[in-house]
Amino acid sequence: MKQFKLKYLLVTLSFVSILAACSKNDPAPGPDGGSSNQTAGVYILNQGNFNQNNSTLSYYDYSAKTLTADRYLTANSTKLGDTGNDLGIYGTKMYIVVNNSNLVNITRASTAKLTKQLTISQPRYLAFYRNYAFVSSYNGTVSVIDTTSLTITKTITVGRSPEQMTVANGKLYVANSGGLDYPDLDKTLSVIDLTTLTEIKKITVTTNPITITSDRYNNVYVLSVGNYGGDATHPAVSAGLTVVNALTDEVRSQTNVNLGYNIPIMAQGDFVYYPTADNKIAMYNARTQSLERANFIVDGTVITSPYAFAFDTTTGQLFIADAKDYSSDGTLYAFSATGQKLSSIITGINPGRIALLNK
Amino acid sequence: MKIAAITKIFYAKLLPRKLALVLAVLPFHALAQSDTTRKLKEVVISSSRAELLKSITSAQQIKAEQFIRYSAFNVADAIRGFSGVSIKDYGGVGGLKTVSVRGLGANHTAVLLDGIQINDAENGQIDLSKFNLSNVQEIALYNGQPSAIGQPARSFASATILSIRTIKPNLTSIKPYLITAGVKAGSFGLVNPYLQWQQRLNDQWSFIINGYTENANGKYGYTINDGSKDVRQDRVAAGVKIQQIDGAVYWAGRDSSKFNFRVNYYHADRGLPGAVVLYVPPPEGQKIWNNDLFMQSGYQKSWKSGLRLSVNAKYANNYLHYFDPQFKNSAGFLDQHFRQQEFYQSASLSYIITKHWEIAYAADLVINTMSANLNAFKYPTRSTLLNVLATNFKAGKLTLQGSLLNSNIKESVTTGTTIPRRNVLSPTLMASYKISDPLTVRAFYKNIFRAPTFNELYYNFITNTKLRPEFADQFDVGFTYNKNLPGALEYISLTADVYYNKVKDKIIYTPNVYAGSALNIAKTEGVGADIGIRSERRLGNLYKGLLAVNYSYQRAMNVTDPTASTYKNQLPYTPQHLINLNVGVNRKGWGLYYNQLLSSLRFYNNNNKTTLPDDYLAAYGLADLSLVYKGSFKLLPVMISTEINNLYDKNYVVVRSYPMPGRSFRISLQITI
Repeated sequence: MKQFKLKYLLVTLSFVSILAACSKNDPAPGPDGGSSNQTAGVYILNQGNFNQNNSTLSYYDYSAKTLTADRYLTANSTKLGDTGNDLGIYGTKMYIVVNNSNLVNITRASTAKLTKQLTISQPRYLAFYRNYAFVSSYNGTVSVIDTTSLTITKTITVGRSPEQMTVANGKLYVANSGGLDYPDLDKTLSVIDLTTLTEIKKITVTTNPITITSDRYNNVYVLSVGNYGGDATHPAVSAGLTVVNALTDEVRSQTNVNLGYNIPIMAQGDFVYYPTADNKIAMYNARTQSLERANFIVDGTVITSPYAFAFDTTTGQLFIADAKDYSSDGTLYAFSATGQKLSSIITGINPGRIALLNK
Repeated sequence: MKIAAITKIFYAKLLPRKLALVLAVLPFHALAQSDTTRKLKEVVISSSRAELLKSITSAQQIKAEQFIRYSAFNVADAIRGFSGVSIKDYGGVGGLKTVSVRGLGANHTAVLLDGIQINDAENGQIDLSKFNLSNVQEIALYNGQPSAIGQPARSFASATILSIRTIKPNLTSIKPYLITAGVKAGSFGLVNPYLQWQQRLNDQWSFIINGYTENANGKYGYTINDGSKDVRQDRVAAGVKIQQIDGAVYWAGRDSSKFNFRVNYYHADRGLPGAVVLYVPPPEGQKIWNNDLFMQSGYQKSWKSGLRLSVNAKYANNYLHYFDPQFKNSAGFLDQHFRQQEFYQSASLSYIITKHWEIAYAADLVINTMSANLNAFKYPTRSTLLNVLATNFKAGKLTLQGSLLNSNIKESVTTGTTIPRRNVLSPTLMASYKISDPLTVRAFYKNIFRAPTFNELYYNFITNTKLRPEFADQFDVGFTYNKNLPGALEYISLTADVYYNKVKDKIIYTPNVYAGSALNIAKTEGVGADIGIRSERRLGNLYKGLLAVNYSYQRAMNVTDPTASTYKNQLPYTPQHLINLNVGVNRKGWGLYYNQLLSSLRFYNNNNKTTLPDDYLAAYGLADLSLVYKGSFKLLPVMISTEINNLYDKNYVVVRSYPMPGRSFRISLQITI
């Protein structure tokens, strides 16, 4: 029946835009508060399933060693909504984007208590810069939220079906996937000047760019899924990694990569991590611009469905979330910097984004 | 002839009071003027003797006169109370309703209309809400396969068979016509007039025409919970406009050969009840249009030598148009068209070798095609050739039946590649042993599969060319106890079955862009029990009480990955316990019936948690009440009834995010000319 088909089409499309913890090397600064050297706990935003109203916010408290299945529900008595897509802690606030409920929930980071709710149609991902929070939306725009007044002050038009965003060299790079217009996919990054808050150019990358991150050397990394084998009118385009120089806005390299279904990407220190089709976690060296290691994990642990990354700077641990069968509780694994599994905790369904709470 | 003979015996045993009682519970289309000299009303025997569907495997049945006992409006409602049945109901008047039997999934149930399968090669599931009851004589559910072996091969090709039999004209030269006109109206703005015209042309030819229209606005209130409070909303844009015209001709030869030809056209314009999502306005705008046409014909001939031939043919053309005005692409909407065609031919030959031994052979050829306006659609054509050899053997109290089905499926596409040709052998073995007159024990084993659907193969970006059929093994052991009793308790009928099912290569949608989203990755195993009790009792002063209780225990488990935390979790949408209790009392023209369904909690994903309310779907009870009066108006039989669904106005959900309507009612008026 149509309901099955559409649901699966949309599920497929929303899955294709996978969340990745896009945490940079420096702890998040912000106008509201300073950074701290101690981690209090880790939040995991669980998407739940599309149209099932079962998105939850897991929280693991490091000192109490307790796991709360839904800290948002506990703090607010109301449910998060349908398909929580992105999560970001900025200063003392935590922003939660709930895609199918058309909401951006702005909460106190330490308690998850709701401060303000903003309505944006089909919101996707977050990015932060100075006193701005940016939210991309499937209606082809990026909304600019003022982090003091917590209101939307501007809406910037970008490409089609925009997904993740990253800040580099005073600019905001937005991945325009065009996924909802399949087979007419998009293949550009919108470049937004952060002083004028306008789109200044588009950079052509590999077809269907979804996830994006940037390193400390002013490189922007974009993972694209390609066009699923193409058809009679569209020649096949493979999945790949595009590296853009944020100083010149020129493409440094475009490599075909055998990507799997989930493509979270994270830059941490000198390395960029992303999963490949064979369930390995590739480690890319940002300084030498080459593949460092085919698999970050050295002890044989296999992540069934790598869904999100995060890095705890205080403990040096790398987190990888595993969505398992996409229809039951996932797992969050903690690895040492050398690639050995240390511990794991149970998450909700489809743990799509991880954020670390500083003390 | 036969009816007259039974009538005489029946009259001899009955007191006049009882006769009146029997007449009162008969359906009106069964009453006909007799052509005997005494001008006695000839009755079709629908006695208060326990009527057990004659079947070696476990089987359940509901007849037209019983639909009112269950306040049934469509086929899904009529079978909701059967053991082992889980109906997945999306709510509303236009919502999808599919049936899964014994936890196997909706794709493993084949729906037959007068013995010929109604197929949906695109979805693999039949939407039972499309089948109204106005021309249905009876519905039977067979676990495994029906016992009669001279049937089309397709009757042997599914794990469960749901057989719908339509009303056939049964007229005489004295009264060669029968016109039934009726109208139903009620909640959701429902107005549903229908007309049936049966006509006898001569002693060989007769025909029947059914006209049906249904209009409803589909509006109802429901509540959703945001974690702290209930929020009330209204179902909007969920109205339906449905028309159906159906006609069949019947020919009976003097040598007992038979021929029939049927044409059926169904048109529906439905607003789809969408998933209710928190914090956004109620869903609206999704629409579906169906244009379904089918023609089927059959010819049967028996010879005195014991040879019987049955030939059937069918053509079906189904068009589906889906529209979503809120899809967030650049165009701002999704507009999809799908057309399926099926060409079907079947021939079966059965031969009675001895009084105790029958053998049958059937061959079916099915060709399915599909076209769609999806990007780079592959326009598949599937040819399925089924050959089955079956035999029935009776040795004293033991009856054995065995069949071996060979399925050959060839798939072709206009561009790209697809799955390879498949050749499968599927055996079935059934046995029943009559221990004594009321008690029979039975058992069956069936191994069968279902092919991947067109959607699973061609709807996604990439076709998974390695997609295999999904196999189901069923083992069943049970007994039936069927006793007519003297005295106030007229009969008691008890059936109980215990079963074990195994499904391997179960097809699941998993986000997996490069291999195609449908994969054979799951395995399930299930044990369960189906128990049914039926009884009737005279309560004095012409009152009669009826009771039917069905209980299902289903422990259907996900055994895909022994290392996963989901290992042995109960499957989604499969309640462990289901009880359906139906009680009624009738007297002369009146009948009052009450139905209570109780379902234990269900899970809606692969988790089996109950920590938070959102982890599962709550247990629920659903009650229906109906009152019917059958009388006459100027010597014409009339029937008036009132039905109340969800009597206690419960807020419940069958499918996650699709709230069901609260209390609703329907009144019907029908006259027969």
